[in-house]
Amino acid sequence: MLELNQALKEIKEDIQNLSGQILSDCYQCGECTAGCPTAFAMEPVPSQAIRLLQLNKYNEVLNSTGIWLCAACNVCGERCPRGVDYGKIADALRTIVLRNKFTHVTLEQVDKKFILDAPQQAFIAAFRKFTT
Amino acid sequence: MTQLAYYPGCTLYTKSKNLDLCARETAQILGVELKELETWNCCGAIYSTVQDDLANQVAPVRNLIEAQKISNKLVTLCAACYNVLKRSNRNLFLKENDVYRKRMMNYLETEYDGKTEVNHYLETLKNDIGFDRVKSKVKKNLNGLKVASYYGCLMLRPSDELNFDDPDNPTMMDDMFSTIGASSVDFAFKGECCGGYILVNKPDVATKCAQTILDSIAASGAECVATTCPLCQYNIDNQQKLMSKQFNLPIFYFTQLLGLALGVDEKILNFDNHCIDPKPLLKQKGLI
Repeated sequence: MLELNQALKEIKEDIQNLSGQILSDCYQCGECTAGCPTAFAMEPVPSQAIRLLQLNKYNEVLNSTGIWLCAACNVCGERCPRGVDYGKIADALRTIVLRNKFTHVTLEQVDKKFILDAPQQAFIAAFRKFTT
Repeated sequence: MTQLAYYPGCTLYTKSKNLDLCARETAQILGVELKELETWNCCGAIYSTVQDDLANQVAPVRNLIEAQKISNKLVTLCAACYNVLKRSNRNLFLKENDVYRKRMMNYLETEYDGKTEVNHYLETLKNDIGFDRVKSKVKKNLNGLKVASYYGCLMLRPSDELNFDDPDNPTMMDDMFSTIGASSVDFAFKGECCGGYILVNKPDVATKCAQTILDSIAASGAECVATTCPLCQYNIDNQQKLMSKQFNLPIFYFTQLLGLALGVDEKILNFDNHCIDPKPLLKQKGLI
């Protein structure tokens, strides 16, 4: 489990700088969650994650499973009426976890069937998003 | 014959040879040579949106530089390569990224001015070759085959960066199929994500995403699906056997059906490289 010990202000700045997004711009309409193809399995869902970040609950979101289910399909950012791109926020959150040396997926965890079968594009993308 | 720089990418060299070979062959028939870059590297498969991520931009830019030895356009086929190359090219040259770009250029051997234009092969067919010319070369009309054109996420979004087609109702692939005699079927999830690389860590989630799309396609009355992306093809073809519902929908690359219409050899079309066998459907339609 990752516990960031920086000042809350610093963590918020990191997330905003890495993502290029302003967290307070979100007014919680839920459009991102409604369009997200993997929201059914996410905890928290995109709009909830942004709300938690607005409430400074950074460690809660950084340790959640939801940020690892983003397929980077860009529906959330495309449809947000406030111009907030949750995909970029999730990318920034994963980057913070990974830069703290917490790898999310190892090769041993991947089903051997996929290693032989699936296009390498899937592995390159997944290992870039999920490993340190 | 016009030469256009061509970037196949990693997956087209191995798992998706038919996507690659059918494109080269059809381009040749249409009077364009897709000339593969003399040297190229993997584009990275997914665009990194993290603002300080310089390292991930070096690989795509190397390919953009290499393209200039052949033409100022670079043609790609894989939706992921298209997404990564086009976004890197555009975003690096935004005014706010001046400092960032200059830092990144220190990692490259050659200067680059951002002038390479990244095109998808569908754009080449529409804008450089023209659908009229495609129509004039049809040898085997697709005989009203009901095709669902599935674009997926990487071709369409973010639309302000890619500017490919209407992100909510894309029609470029549908128009191409109408040109070669197929009947293009409308469905709701043309641009829905197939689950993508989530397949690697949460295959059950990816399977459910793929099933949502196939549900929508099956309800539209389509007989088969066409895609531009090897990962979409895998997720909605190979995952069908793991689904609770049996769709039995063949999933083609759009270049295979184009090749079929233009009379490309069946060995190159390679209809054996599918999980759901498309040959019974094609036989029934009198196409093979």
